[in-house]
Amino acid sequence: MGQPALCSIVSTDSPLPATAPWIVLKFGGTSVSTAARWATIRALAHGRRAEGARVLVVVSALSGITDLLKAASQEDDVGARLVIAEQIEARHVELAHCLELPQSAQWRTHMDALRHIVQMETAPADLIPWQASVMAHGELLSSAMGADWLHAAWLDARSVLRASDQPNQSERMQRFSALLETQPDPRAAVELAGLGEILITQGFIARDVHGGTVLLGRGGSDTSAAHFGALLRAARVEIWTDVAGMFSANPRLVPDARLLRRLDYEEAQEIATTGAKVLHARCLAPLRGPRVPLWIKDTERPQLAGTEIGAEAVEASPSIKALSMRKGITLVSMESIGMWQQVGFLADVFAQFKRHGLSVDLIGSAETNVTVSLDSSENLLDSDALATLAADLAQVCRVKVIAPCAAITLVGRGMRGMLHRLQALLAELGGQRVHLISQSSNNLNLTFVTDESAADALLGRMHDLLLQSGALRADDGSIFGPSWRALYAAPMADTGSPWWRAQRVSLLRSAEQGTPKYVYHLPTIRERASALRGMSAVDRWYYALKANSHSAVLRELARAGFGLECVSPGELAEASAVAPETPRLFTPNFAPRDDYAAAFDAGALVCVDSLFPLQKWGDLLAGREIGLRVDLGVGVGHHEKVRTGGSGSKFGLPLADLPAFLAGARRIGARITLLHAHLGSGVLDAAHWAGVYVQLASLAEHVGTLRALDVGGGLGLPQREGEWPLDLAALDAALWDVKRAYPQFELWMEPGRYLVAEAGVLLARVTQVKDKDAYHYLGIDAGMHSLLRPALYGAHHRMVNLSRIDAAADSLYQVVGPICESGDVLGTDRRMPAGEEGDVILIEHAGAYGAVMASEYNRRGLPAQEILE
Amino acid sequence: MNSASLPDPRRARTFRFIGCGYEAGEARLRYAFDDGPEMVECVVFPDAPRLQGSAKAAFDRAIQLLHWIAGVSYYKAGAVGRLAIENARPEPGVLALIQSVYRHGLAEFAYRNNLDLRAEWSVSAPSGMAMAVPEVGLSARTLVPIGGGKDSLVAVEALRSVGAEATATWIGDSPLIATCAARTGLPTLNIRRTLAPELFAYNRMGAWNGHVPVTAINSAILVCASLLYGYDSIAFANERSASSATLEYDGQLVNHQWSKGAGFERDFAAVVRESIAKDLRYFSLLRCWSELAVTRAFARLPQYFDVFSSCNRNFRILGSRPVDRWCGQCPKCHFVFLALAPFLPKPRLLSIFGRNLLDDEALAPGFDALLEYRGHKPFECVGEGAEARAAMAELADRPEWREDALVARFRSEILPQLDAASLGIGPWLEPQGEHGVPERLAGALRWLT
Repeated sequence: MGQPALCSIVSTDSPLPATAPWIVLKFGGTSVSTAARWATIRALAHGRRAEGARVLVVVSALSGITDLLKAASQEDDVGARLVIAEQIEARHVELAHCLELPQSAQWRTHMDALRHIVQMETAPADLIPWQASVMAHGELLSSAMGADWLHAAWLDARSVLRASDQPNQSERMQRFSALLETQPDPRAAVELAGLGEILITQGFIARDVHGGTVLLGRGGSDTSAAHFGALLRAARVEIWTDVAGMFSANPRLVPDARLLRRLDYEEAQEIATTGAKVLHARCLAPLRGPRVPLWIKDTERPQLAGTEIGAEAVEASPSIKALSMRKGITLVSMESIGMWQQVGFLADVFAQFKRHGLSVDLIGSAETNVTVSLDSSENLLDSDALATLAADLAQVCRVKVIAPCAAITLVGRGMRGMLHRLQALLAELGGQRVHLISQSSNNLNLTFVTDESAADALLGRMHDLLLQSGALRADDGSIFGPSWRALYAAPMADTGSPWWRAQRVSLLRSAEQGTPKYVYHLPTIRERASALRGMSAVDRWYYALKANSHSAVLRELARAGFGLECVSPGELAEASAVAPETPRLFTPNFAPRDDYAAAFDAGALVCVDSLFPLQKWGDLLAGREIGLRVDLGVGVGHHEKVRTGGSGSKFGLPLADLPAFLAGARRIGARITLLHAHLGSGVLDAAHWAGVYVQLASLAEHVGTLRALDVGGGLGLPQREGEWPLDLAALDAALWDVKRAYPQFELWMEPGRYLVAEAGVLLARVTQVKDKDAYHYLGIDAGMHSLLRPALYGAHHRMVNLSRIDAAADSLYQVVGPICESGDVLGTDRRMPAGEEGDVILIEHAGAYGAVMASEYNRRGLPAQEILE
Repeated sequence: MNSASLPDPRRARTFRFIGCGYEAGEARLRYAFDDGPEMVECVVFPDAPRLQGSAKAAFDRAIQLLHWIAGVSYYKAGAVGRLAIENARPEPGVLALIQSVYRHGLAEFAYRNNLDLRAEWSVSAPSGMAMAVPEVGLSARTLVPIGGGKDSLVAVEALRSVGAEATATWIGDSPLIATCAARTGLPTLNIRRTLAPELFAYNRMGAWNGHVPVTAINSAILVCASLLYGYDSIAFANERSASSATLEYDGQLVNHQWSKGAGFERDFAAVVRESIAKDLRYFSLLRCWSELAVTRAFARLPQYFDVFSSCNRNFRILGSRPVDRWCGQCPKCHFVFLALAPFLPKPRLLSIFGRNLLDDEALAPGFDALLEYRGHKPFECVGEGAEARAAMAELADRPEWREDALVARFRSEILPQLDAASLGIGPWLEPQGEHGVPERLAGALRWLT
C-alpha cells in the first residue's frame, strides 16, 4: 500500500481544508516514557500534519503507571495511596524536566484530582467506579503532558467514546473491560476538527451510558485508537509500538519468523485472537466496516516497513500467513453413546460450561465424543470451577480433562486449498500427541492442540517446514518482509567471503584435471579448530572422523590437539596410521565382538551402548575402563520429541536399563569413566548442549566412577541464506553454567561436520542442459554417487557456477547428476546464470560426509580428492 | 589430579581425622587414608565477623564437630575398618553421635555396596578438661535452610506468620535455591563448601561411592554459622515421614533420610545444647506433620509456584520453563505432583509441572513404587506409601482426575486390593508426635493447621 493520496501542497502554516482526512496515531506506554520517544512522536505528528492530514494522537499511560494506580486502587490505607500518588507525580515531573516542559494548568488539574480521589473514603458499593476513575488517571496525565509538548489540543476521550450497555456482564467486567460501539460520525469529525489540527487524547478510557468512567482492559489503548479511527473514518490508524509489526510466528520462539507486510482484516483478526500479542484482538472489528486501514510500526525504528492491515487481498497465490500459539489450554473430552442422535444433548452440556463461568473456544466432535478447549483464565486456574464442572458433566458422560495443552494455529485465507502442501508438517505432527484438530468453515485457520511441553520446539520446526515446503511463501515480497532476526538480532558477524573465492582461478585449473573432485582447504579447518579450542568449558575435543577421514585432515586436527573418535576398526587403523600418539575414542553401534577386542588392543577408550556386551562378553570387558553411551531421548524433559526420540533410534542405552548396566559393570569389574550422549545434528541453538550436559551430570552422580561427560557433537552450520551461525561464546557460557555446578567432571565434545564441512567443496562440470515444460535441468558430472547427502537427508548445499561467477543469476535450475535414479538431484530451484557444457559448478560445504559416503554406483568411479595447504 | 599416583582407599587400614582449623571465614577440615595424601575440605562463611570469649570457644567446638561429621563423605570412599581421631578427644555423647552418623547415616550406602560398616574407633588425642558449656548470648533470630523445595518454603512462611526474624540460608552454588531464597524476601546467607579434589580422583579410580547423610553435614555447618553470626535457632523443615525406614538390611533399618529423621534431630540437638552452646536450639519446624499436611500448606503459597522444585535430577540448574525444574521422571517429581493434586485446581497444578504426570502410562512403574505396589519404597526423600495411596484414592474420586491413565489404572487394578478405611486423607493432615520447637516460635505451628 503506498501513501494514501492526501491533500497535497499544504504547508504547515496554512490551515487545513474542511475535507482534510484524519490520521490516528497511537503510542503505548514505552513509547511515551522517555524524552527521546516523545521527540519521535512530535516528528511523526507534525509529519502527518505536513502531509495534509488532521492528526489525533492517542496515548497510553507512562509504562508502569497503570500498575501503580491499580495498586493504589486496591490499597486500604489512605497514607499508602498518597505515597503511590507521589511516586506517580515524581515520574511525570522527571519526564517533564527531561522535556524541558513547565507544569501546565491542565496537567496540574489532573494530578490534583488524582491526589484528591485517592484520599476519598469509598463505600463498598462505590468501590468499583472509584477504582476505575483512579486507574483512568495514567492516560489523563500522559495526554495532558503530551498536549503541552506537541502544542496539541487536549481532548477528553470520555466525551467521545461511549461503552455499550452489557446487561449480561458483571459490574466489574462492565467497568474494567467495557465494550465500545462506534459508527462513523461525520458530525463528530467536524466537531473535533474545530478543536485544532493536531489533537491528543487518551487510550484505555471511555464513559458508560450514565457518564461514568469505564476502562477498556489490558491493551485497551489500541481499541481506543481503532474506535477513534472508525468514528472519524480516518485515512488510517497507526499503532506505534516496540516491534515492527505482526510476524509469521512469535519471534521470541522463532527468530526466523517473517514480518507480515500486509494482511486483510480477517487474517489479522485470526492471528491476534489465536496468540499474537502485538495487536489487541478487539481493535480490528470497528475498522472493518468503514474500511479504515491499520498500520503497525516500530517507534524506535520508524523507518521499518511495518504491517499494513486493510480490506484487500493482494497475494499472488494463497499462502499460510502465520503460525500462532496459545498455551495453557485445557481440553475437556466428553464421551457418551447417549449423545448419538440425541436432541438437545450438546445444549445441555454447553449450559454446564456457561453455569460454571467457563468459555468454550475450540470444538471437535465425533458421533460419541465432543471435545472442547478452554482458554487459560483465573477462574480455571484458581477456583474449583473445573472440578465442579467435571462433577456435573460426569452425571451424563465420561469426562476426561487433558492439560496442559497448546493450540497451534495455521492462519491463511483459503486454508483448505493448501492442505496438499502440508505433507511434511503433518508428518512432523504424526510424532506428537495431537489431541484435537479444528478447522472452521471460514477457511482461515487450521488448529492443532498438542502437549504444551512440546509446543515451543514444535512451533519452530513447523515454521521451518512451512517455509521449506513453500506453504508459507516467504518469497512473496508483497506479503512477507525480512525475518525478525534480520531486523532485530545483533548483526551477523561478517564471516567474509568464502575461502574458495580467492582460490577461484586455481580451482578452475584443478577442475580441468578431472571432475568430480573434492578440494579441502586446510587453513579453514585450522580456523574452525582454533575457534573451538577457544571454548574454555570444554576439557577435551575429539574429532568424529567419519565426517572426513582424509589423512591430511586427520593429521591437521591431531596437530591442533583433537583426539579422534572412531566407529570402526577401519577408522581406528586410519587414526593409528596417521596420528599414532593421539587419544582415540571408539563409539561403535551394533558392532561385532571382534571390533571391541581390536579397539581395546589399540588402546582406545571403548564406549558401549547396550547391556548385551556386558552380559555376553563379560570376559572381554572385565577390569576395563569403559564409556557408556546413553539415550536421553525418552522422557528426560528437555527434549520435546520424547515419545519417539528413544525407541525409534538404535543408539544408546535406554535410561531404564541404567541401573542394570551399573550393577553389571560392577559385577565384572568394569569401570565406567565416560558418560556419553549424542542427540541429533546440525543444531544451531547453543542451549541444546547445556541441556544434554545437565542431564548427563544428574545421571553421573549415580555412576560414581566417572571422569568425564561427553555431550557429543552436532554443532550446526548455517545452510541457507539468513540462517545465523552457532554462537560459540554463548555455547561456552551455557556450558559453564552447568560446569560450575558439576566441577568434578571433565567435559568432552566430539564435533565432526563443524570442523570440516566449510573447508571442502565439490567441483563438477556441466554435462547437458534440458528444458521440460517449466523445469530447466542443469546436468553435471557429480551425482548422488559423489555426494549422497541431498538424496539421503534432503540436505541443502549451495552451489555456484564458478566459470560465470559474476554473471546474472537469471535461470532457475534443477541441478541433477548422471546416475540412473530419479532421486539423483543435487539441488532444486537454484538461481544461477545460464550454464553451458563444460562450466565448472562448485558445491559448497562438501567437506563433511562427502567423499566418505561416495560410491561407485553405476560403475562411475569415486571422486578425486585434493588438498590445499 | 592424576589418579594413577593415588593408592586405592579401599585397601587402606585407617581413616584419619588429622585436624581442622579456621581463619578469616574459612574452615579447613583435614582427613587422610593411612599415609595417603591429605584431603582438605573448605567451608567458607561470607563476611565472617571476629569472635571472642565464650562465642569463640563455642564456635571452635562447632568447627570440631563439623570436622568429625563432614568426614563421612571421605570415609565412605574406603569404608575401612578403622577410624582414628587424632587431633582432639570427643566427649562420650559427641562420639556416640558421630559413630551413629557413620553407621546409620551410611546404612543405605552399605546396603547398595553390600558392605559391612562395623568399624573400630580409636581416639589418640589427650582428653581435654571437661567444662560446663555456657550460654553464648545468641540473638533471638533464626537460620532457615532453604533447599529449593516446598518444605523449607512452608517453614519460612510459618515463621513469618509470627513475625520471627529469620535468614534464608543455603550451602553451595545453586541458582535455583538462590532464586527461591530471594523470593522469600528474607535476608540471605550463602555458605560455600568445596570438597577435596582427591575425593573425586578416588571416585574415578572406582572407590566406594553413594549416599551420605548430607543433612547431618549441613546441620553441623549451620551450627558453626549460628555461632559465628549470632542466631539462637536453626529451623529445619524435616517432616514426619522422614523418620520411617525404607527397608531392613543386615539386621539394621535402612532409612534414606536418616539424618532428616526425628532420632537424629533429637540426638544432634542434645549434643549442640550440651557440648557446643547451651542457648542454641536445633529443631525441625515440620516434625509433627506429614508430607501431605506440608503439601497442603504449600498449596496456599502461589508466590513460589514458578520457582520451587523438589526434583533431584535438574535441581541445580535454573530454568524458566517447568521442564527445566521438573524432570518428571524421578520419584520426587512423582510424589510432589501426586501430593499437591488434592489441594490445587488441576490446571494450576499442571501449569507448575508443564505436563500431566498422571496421564502418562510410561510412568506407571514409578508411581507403583511410590504406592508401594509391587516392591519396596524407593530410596528418595518421599512420603510414606500410605500418604501416596491416600492422595491417589482422593483423585480416584474426582471426576476431573479419574480418567487420567494412572488414576484409572489405580482404580481398576490397585484400589480393589486396598482397605478403603485406611485411605482417608483427613488423618494425614493432623499433627502427631513430639517436636523440639522452642516456645518463642511455637506460634508458627498454628499456621500449618
